[in-house]
Amino acid sequence: MMSDGGIEDEEKWLAEGIAGLQHNAFYMHRALDSNNLRDALKYSAQMLSELRTSRLSPHKYYELYMRAFDELRKLEMFFKEETKRGCSVIDLYELVQHAGNILPRLYLLCTVGSVYIRSKEAPAKDVLKDLVEMCRGIQHPVRGLFLRSYLSQVSRDKLPDIGSEYEGDADTVMDAVEFVLQNFTEMNKLWVRMQHQGPVREKEKREKERSELRDLVGKNLHVLSQIEGVDLDLYRDTVLPRVLEQVVNCKDEIAQYYLMDCIIQVFPDEYHLQTLETLLGACPQLQPIVDIKTVLSQLMDRLSNYAASSAEVLPEFLQVEAFAKLSNAIGKVIEAQVDMPAFGSIGLYVSLLTFTLRVHPDRLDYVDQVLGACVKKLSGKAKLEDSKGTKQIVALLSAPLEKYNDIGIALKLSNYPRVMDHLDSATNKVMAVVIIQSIMKNNTCISTADKVEALFELIKGLIKDLDGAPADELDEEDFKEEQNSVARLIHMLHNDDPEEMLKIICIVRKHILSGGPKRLAFTVPPLIFSALKLVRRLQGQDGDLDGEEMSATPKKIFQLLHQTIEALLSVPAPELALRLYLQCAEAANDCDIEPVAYEFFTQAFILYEEEVADSKAQVTAIHLIIGTLQRMNVFGVENRDTLTHKATGYSAKLLKKPDQCRAVYACSHLFWVDDQDGIKDGERVLLCLKRALRIANAAQQMANVTRGSNGPVTLFVEILNKYLYFFEKGNAQVTTAAIQGLVELITTEMQSDAKTQDPSADAFFSSTLRYIQFQKQKGGAMGEKYEPIKV
Amino acid sequence: MASRRRMLLKVIILGDSGVGKTSLMNQYVNRKFSNQYKATIGADFLTKEVQFEDRLFTLQIWDTAGQERFQSLGVAFYRGADCCVLVYDVNVAKSFENLNNWREEFLIQASPSDPENFPFVVLGNKVDVDGGNSRVVSEKKAKAWCASKGNIPYFETSAKEGFNVEAAFQCIAKNALKNEPEEEMYLPDTIDVADGGGRQQRSTGCEC
Ligand SMILES: Nc1nc2c(ncn2[C@@H]2O[C@H](COP(=O)(O)OP(=O)(O)O)[C@@H](O)[C@H]2O)c(=O)[nH]1
Ligand SMILES: [Mg+2]
Repeated sequence: MMSDGGIEDEEKWLAEGIAGLQHNAFYMHRALDSNNLRDALKYSAQMLSELRTSRLSPHKYYELYMRAFDELRKLEMFFKEETKRGCSVIDLYELVQHAGNILPRLYLLCTVGSVYIRSKEAPAKDVLKDLVEMCRGIQHPVRGLFLRSYLSQVSRDKLPDIGSEYEGDADTVMDAVEFVLQNFTEMNKLWVRMQHQGPVREKEKREKERSELRDLVGKNLHVLSQIEGVDLDLYRDTVLPRVLEQVVNCKDEIAQYYLMDCIIQVFPDEYHLQTLETLLGACPQLQPIVDIKTVLSQLMDRLSNYAASSAEVLPEFLQVEAFAKLSNAIGKVIEAQVDMPAFGSIGLYVSLLTFTLRVHPDRLDYVDQVLGACVKKLSGKAKLEDSKGTKQIVALLSAPLEKYNDIGIALKLSNYPRVMDHLDSATNKVMAVVIIQSIMKNNTCISTADKVEALFELIKGLIKDLDGAPADELDEEDFKEEQNSVARLIHMLHNDDPEEMLKIICIVRKHILSGGPKRLAFTVPPLIFSALKLVRRLQGQDGDLDGEEMSATPKKIFQLLHQTIEALLSVPAPELALRLYLQCAEAANDCDIEPVAYEFFTQAFILYEEEVADSKAQVTAIHLIIGTLQRMNVFGVENRDTLTHKATGYSAKLLKKPDQCRAVYACSHLFWVDDQDGIKDGERVLLCLKRALRIANAAQQMANVTRGSNGPVTLFVEILNKYLYFFEKGNAQVTTAAIQGLVELITTEMQSDAKTQDPSADAFFSSTLRYIQFQKQKGGAMGEKYEPIKV
Repeated sequence: MASRRRMLLKVIILGDSGVGKTSLMNQYVNRKFSNQYKATIGADFLTKEVQFEDRLFTLQIWDTAGQERFQSLGVAFYRGADCCVLVYDVNVAKSFENLNNWREEFLIQASPSDPENFPFVVLGNKVDVDGGNSRVVSEKKAKAWCASKGNIPYFETSAKEGFNVEAAFQCIAKNALKNEPEEEMYLPDTIDVADGGGRQQRSTGCEC
């Protein structure tokens, strides 16, 4: 082994080695240039002596080796020229064996051997056999491995492969294979032996060195794979069994892990498929600590890619029953390796699932079977906490979604939710969001109550607090994002059949009501709108028309809506609830169900009175109430009077004068609905407008007192516009005189203090005047109507 | 004297795994192609004699593993390269994006004396796939990149159909030949004609 010493020492030794090598190479070149064979051999042998060092790590040794290697190419050319000049290659082959040290001797022998084979004076197989035997002379692992890789390199293009110019008799491919296999076997032995040499305390360093050397061994497998004559039969009958025999028998976990990987990567997919049993059969024979899961994953990944490459290869997979074999092998490995970490076994299932989805996309039973095996592995254990493991589960569960782009498929897999149960709550949520995103991306419509039930069971992590979930750790932004995605999901649930749709709504309702106050504000509105959509579909049908068995009637749905909105009171979210009540009232109006519409309004007013305290919120709410009420036509006189009375009353009680004023003039519309048979109570309209004027006046005065300046003239202009509206609509109570008076009032107000004029009010007033002017000039009935007004 | 070294031209092929490095080499050297994918382990070369301006050269073409896990010994074989061939798959954007890494990695590790003028050749391989319909890197884009790196010659190839492979390697050989070899001028401390050795005693190996 390499003796102790730091990196610096090693650099020094390498530099010394290079210097020695260059020194001798210099004299070798002189000998080559003067065709002096004797000196050429002498100096090249001395040069190669540098490779006898034991002080370099494999990396550094490789540097030295490469320099010697380059020099040997020149020597090889020289040998070739020598043979052209009449020197017998057989003599050369003899001659180099006189070198004093065995290592230089063998390098020289391989170099001449290369020329020898090329000369075809002896069959390639004989020379190769001789060389590979001779190399046994070096038993030092590092030196032996490099020497043999030199042999492998120089013989690479001289194997008696079929179609090669060195092709021999009938068994020629076998000869080539035997040579490479033998070199491989010897190299692996050297490599494995390293592990057992030197003191125990240097184990780590030794393993690092071994790892650096591994490609020298693996290279042989690459060479085997490149031999033209290694067809499937030869591979199945000779190459694979012989390689596996060496792999299994060496009982070295580093070698086993690496060589299995090499086998999988260097030989073609078709061969693996046709020899799956043999390859998989070797797995349980490997040392127990070999990372078989990675090996198997790599195999499955490779086969999956192959399956994906072309549909033409799929029958091959079926023919060899690849799924059953892989699934079986995985089961055995997991069973045998009790200590395999969760992410390891789940990783295996991910690979198997990927394989299944690519090769057997039509076999949902296979997919479910893989998930089931995973559940079995996970059951009995507590929830997965380690991040690698959960990542794998997310990958496992995402794979079918990505493949089918249809959550309906996942919902058919009985083991899907069972796997999800093994996620910790945070990961469960991540997965639930992935599921929703998949639905949104593919615009999947979930159309049956059963599917909805299954889906909500899947995403329950988002729907409610799961046991033991640390609620305080929640990031506010994340929470909003999650709940918004649930809200979006609710819109994707649809069935054209009202009965089924109602069932869906009831199921969603059941689930979201269990979500606690924090979630309701997000989840109730989409549910309400979904139910209202259904109501709209049923609109026009009389509630009890279809008798008892019919449950999807507007009345029943309204009842459900009522109870659902009520849940918002626990949040509390009175403003939201109020809006939703108004939406329902409007829908009830359209269904022509007066008592229900009245009830919703009553609820809205109760909320307004008892829960809406903020003055700004009150303003918004009262305008919503007025707007909705204005559109209602279901109410009889009495009900309508009660509601409009309340609305005007609350309008006049708003906190700020301008708000009062605006709400009150808005109420004027409650008495004048511009429909064919809408209510038209001109008197009460005027009352509202006058009341608004009084409030505007009061506001004006208050402003004068507090700021000593003009108040909100804008209010007057706004009221003037209302006057004009009703005037045009034919409200006889609104007279030209009243309009004229108002115009003058505003003009005076505006002129009273020019300094504090509000430019926007000014502009508003000017354009209102321009409008009047315009109407006057228009002529016709309207022009006539406006005629008396002077501006 | 005709330096022996100048008869040997060393070429290194680099690029992501699967772009067709091995296939290009096999097509050029053996005129063979296989659809099967077989990963390469470590590095090794094939040689091919080329005639150039009435002289015969040996091209030593080094094929490499694109995957790091099959390159355990490092890249000492870059040393002394005369030309570096960068290969990408015109159907895989990532393999094109990685060319820069491969180029820089090569310049760092091989540390040629004049990195600015070190000859590279870029090959956009697999142009045959799907009649060119699955192509994602345009010829224009590839040429622009080559131009920005000091006018690297560019070829579009198909190892499968043998398209442009011969022409590409002709150019590779030509550029390798143009590369001025950085002959490490070694002069022994004392030119000891009688015995250039006398140093091998320093070696601390065992008796083998
Ligand atoms: N269609 C097509 N396939 C190619 C071409 N070159 C290589 N391949 C295929 O691509 C895969 C990888 O090729 P390979 O030469 O091993 O790539 P390397 O990893 O860069 O050495 C193999 O399956 C080849 O058959 C080409 O020009 N056209
Ligand atoms: Mg390759």
